[in-house]
Amino acid sequence: MADPDTPPPSAPGSGSDPSALRRRVAQAQAEKARRDAPPEPTNAGTLALRMGGEFGAAVLVGAGLGYGADYWLQTSPFGLIIGLGLGFIAGVVNVVRASSAYAKDHPVDPNAPSIPDDARD
Amino acid sequence: MHQFQIERFAPFDINGIDASFSNASLFMVAGVAAATLFMTQAMSKKALVPDRAQAVAEGAYTFIHSMVRDATGAEGVKKFFPFVFSLFIFIFMANMLGMFPIFFTTTSQIVVTATLALMVFATVIIVGFAKNGLKFLKLFVPSGVPIAILPFVTLIEIISFFSRPLSHAVRLWANIFAGHVLLKVFASFVPMMAAAGFVGVLGSILPLGMTVALYALEFLVAFLQAYVFALLTCIYLNDALHPGHH
Repeated sequence: MADPDTPPPSAPGSGSDPSALRRRVAQAQAEKARRDAPPEPTNAGTLALRMGGEFGAAVLVGAGLGYGADYWLQTSPFGLIIGLGLGFIAGVVNVVRASSAYAKDHPVDPNAPSIPDDARD
Repeated sequence: MHQFQIERFAPFDINGIDASFSNASLFMVAGVAAATLFMTQAMSKKALVPDRAQAVAEGAYTFIHSMVRDATGAEGVKKFFPFVFSLFIFIFMANMLGMFPIFFTTTSQIVVTATLALMVFATVIIVGFAKNGLKFLKLFVPSGVPIAILPFVTLIEIISFFSRPLSHAVRLWANIFAGHVLLKVFASFVPMMAAAGFVGVLGSILPLGMTVALYALEFLVAFLQAYVFALLTCIYLNDALHPGHH
């Protein structure tokens, strides 16, 4: 199959052919529409599972690495404690990264109604 | 629950490692067979004006192709498109086969999803080192961080890197597993309520309707999770090609 990246070879005089140009314009517009489509689901449950997974995975891996360090260096329990702490931080980093990527892909509608200020009532 | 039980059809043991051919293996083979059969059959005519099957096959191809190109660039798409496309089609077929009643859902086993995630993880490490050499380690050392806290940040980055295959595997597994459990729970309410007399039969319409609605949602999840898995694979592979471009 031909690579869709490479533009079709232009025959001499094809630049003035309106039907070829129209086809390429339509192709480019379809491409843009597809690229602008939201890349990730906005389903709340999916999102919750995702953020939770990012956080929990880092905590578990941090604890695991700490436990491994304990095992090899005979420093129990300090490796586990430090590993858990670092894993916790790494989890927060993961969540911040995932949510900022999400916020970039789903910018807030500037015309959205503002949330009523509940401090006043 | 019965639907998640592994049944060994052909017990087989290599040095204490259980390598039996089970119902999970059977449905993985079925997924591969279904994907292969569909792609070869749909594309066999190679018509200029595609029929429905060919349009679906080409649509899947261009969908994944543009996703890989957007995430990894023109270089990544040349190297990794077959890998990502195979992953996507395999997971999608496994999820879809799991939607049939009685059938076994291979992606509801964390062993399967973890294997796929570790495969991606190993690919990232091998390609990263092969292509960038020791510069791949720049992935762990973000630029513009004060030297005093650099070792600390590097440790966190390393943990964050190693947590990827875990969250990658768990996300697919948990979505599929939770969906199937939820379906089972709502479906089991129907006979329970129906056994409680006439009012129960009337009331059992509610969980029945919920089951139907959830089933539709599960089809969406089956596709979305295959897509998300492939998308994350692209993001991770991009790190292997361009470390240090966060």
